[in-house]
Amino acid sequence: MPELFWRMMKEEWRIHSTMFGQISFALFPVMIFGIVWMSAFLLPMLHASLPQVDLAFLAYAIFLSLGFMVGGFGLLGNEMMNRRFGQASLLVYSARSLPLSERFIFANFVIKDTVYYLLLWVFPFCFGYIAASPFTGASLQKALLLLPTLALSFISGLCTIFLLSTLYVRSKAACWAAILAVSLSLGYMVVLNGSNPALNFPPYMLYMNFSWGAFIVACLMLAALFSLSLLLFSPEQGVTTKQYRGLLRPLIHRFRRLPNPPLTAKDFVDLHRSGIGIGQAIFSFLLPLIAIFLFLSLIDPYLPAHGFFILFSLITGVVASTMYTWVTEFDSFGAYACLPVATSTLIQSKVTTFAILQAIPAVFIAAAAFLTGEGAFALPAIVFCLSSSFFGAGVMAYLCGLSPGVLIYNVNVLFTYLVVNGAVFAILSALSFANPLFASISVVLLVPALLFVERAMSRWDSVDPIGF
Amino acid sequence: MTAVLETDNLCKRYGDVTALDHVSLAVEEGALFGLLGPNGSGKTTMIRLLTGQIRPSGGSARVLGLDAAREGIRVRERVGIIPEQESPPSFLTAMEYLEFVGTIRKVHDIEERAEKWFDLLEFGDKKHVLCKDLSRGTRQKLMFAQAFIHEPSVALIDEPLINLDPIMQDVVKEFLKGYVKSERTVFLSTHSLEVAEEICSSFAILHRGRLLHSGSVSGLMEAGEHLPEFFLSLVRRGRDA
Ligand SMILES: Nc1ncnc2c1ncn2[C@@H]1O[C@H](COP(=O)(O)OP(=O)(O)O)[C@@H](O)[C@H]1O
Ligand SMILES: [Mg+2]
Repeated sequence: MPELFWRMMKEEWRIHSTMFGQISFALFPVMIFGIVWMSAFLLPMLHASLPQVDLAFLAYAIFLSLGFMVGGFGLLGNEMMNRRFGQASLLVYSARSLPLSERFIFANFVIKDTVYYLLLWVFPFCFGYIAASPFTGASLQKALLLLPTLALSFISGLCTIFLLSTLYVRSKAACWAAILAVSLSLGYMVVLNGSNPALNFPPYMLYMNFSWGAFIVACLMLAALFSLSLLLFSPEQGVTTKQYRGLLRPLIHRFRRLPNPPLTAKDFVDLHRSGIGIGQAIFSFLLPLIAIFLFLSLIDPYLPAHGFFILFSLITGVVASTMYTWVTEFDSFGAYACLPVATSTLIQSKVTTFAILQAIPAVFIAAAAFLTGEGAFALPAIVFCLSSSFFGAGVMAYLCGLSPGVLIYNVNVLFTYLVVNGAVFAILSALSFANPLFASISVVLLVPALLFVERAMSRWDSVDPIGF
Repeated sequence: MTAVLETDNLCKRYGDVTALDHVSLAVEEGALFGLLGPNGSGKTTMIRLLTGQIRPSGGSARVLGLDAAREGIRVRERVGIIPEQESPPSFLTAMEYLEFVGTIRKVHDIEERAEKWFDLLEFGDKKHVLCKDLSRGTRQKLMFAQAFIHEPSVALIDEPLINLDPIMQDVVKEFLKGYVKSERTVFLSTHSLEVAEEICSSFAILHRGRLLHSGSVSGLMEAGEHLPEFFLSLVRRGRDA
């Protein structure tokens, strides 16, 4: 059994390291470590202005959301593995040639991915914080506790979405029922106890008050969730003759005024039929943002008036900018290689699809504004959210072209991405804290966003497409 | 006779792998040209370079008078391509895929043409099935139709016969023989020597990225040689050298 797992681990390593060098890939966790280590020195300053709160919960929110965002394994099953790196002959396709079941191979794939996420993101993050604790005056004991509990937080997010996404593929009704049940019990907590469910998030509770018993129970529960998801996972049935009504042509007609009608139409057919559209909107957008909302509301009392909502629109924008990866990661360039379609044309079409999808964050922020009584600031908040999203996506398109899911693991790419976005968003949120109406100024971000897209188009036209 | 495909000292390196090493080749209009070579000899790389999908590390390639590296899009507008082992997009139906290609290639009567192809390649009730639910062979047939739907004057096809059953292989071979009769050119990459001997008019042999031989099939026959034996002896000599 571990044989296949280790081979997959090595394969993943080789895929990344041949794409941008062993060193660059190996440096990735080192860089996460470094960034966290340095940022930890800013914490005492933050603490000075927010003395009553332990900011650790922010880390839980981030890793829970990361788990949400990457946990949709069930959505595509084989198709997802298929598309991640094109149709190279990866071990995951070996089901038909090896005496192993598809479910077994899939389980190995999911565990391999989870281990990589832990090694690349979660552990370096924790070690960065631990290494800084002697200098920042943070408690070493608490810092060490981050390691198991943040990992739990990430895995909780991942397992929840893994289960929901397999349910979604099996039966949409069951998935909705599960989401409804969870929302109702969370709502019950809020209404009856008046307590924020974020405070009752087990990994965070463990951090505040650790006990081995509770830790083991939490691990067992996650293992149960994970096994249940695997059991529910339905391997591809292979050859079926289900007939579909033509969707492409009407969509091409509808998009006729856009730059590349057939390409945009194909994106929407893909999003619709694969379930990625709705699936990702729930699992990678809605749920992470609800979790962030709950966690972030813990610091609401300490932020300037309306600051919470403005900050939330910025975060929504950042999450929305990852929609660029939805439309790129699940498509392989190989499919276009035989057509007169340039990489630049594809980037343009993906940005177009991305732009249409921005209706989702716009509606979401508008709804959030009215639900939270911030209706008066709905407009600047929507502007802030969408401008940041376009800016983030523009930077991403420039740095990664059509392969953000792969190239983000190149240290230069991630570093540039974080620095550029971090600087711009820090300035804009400082302005908006001063006066929420200033958030509208962010509309100027559309100019550099467009420039980035233009530069992306010429940049990625002049190199061989990735994987060729 | 004019050369519609031409390479001049074409080279391609991937890191330290040299996939093509100073290959100079010309293919005349109306040829059914077979590019032969063992696995990994550089056939796919050659097709990608000729159609401007990747850039050469040295030398040049011209197709229909266009420089493949600089005018790749114009080359791909005018030729048809079957990429190696590529499947049509998973979530389009077979019909939608041809509509997609037809719209990009600005073919106006795409639906009629698609129907003709579905008949020729015996799609039956598979027209409105998603590509991901099609068998490997049916997907390969769809990729074949896609490459010829706009009746290009040059088609570059990479191992088009794998996954096809013998009957379909025959249909495809007959189609290719007929296609080149009206001054159109087919550039076929294959490791099947029997197929090459049966349908090709001229051929070239690649081995480890180097061109070992190029000539006409009839010339070879006249010299009393058979392609399979000729190929094997050349490649073995190349390997020992
Ligand atoms: N994208 C790539 N990166 C690295 N090496 C490659 C790539 N594509 C092909 N090669 C190498 O180039 C050589 C020629 O490959 P290819 O053109 O696919 O040969 P063929 O089609 O004749 O089997 C092989 O050694 C192959 O491993
Ligand atoms: Mg090949």
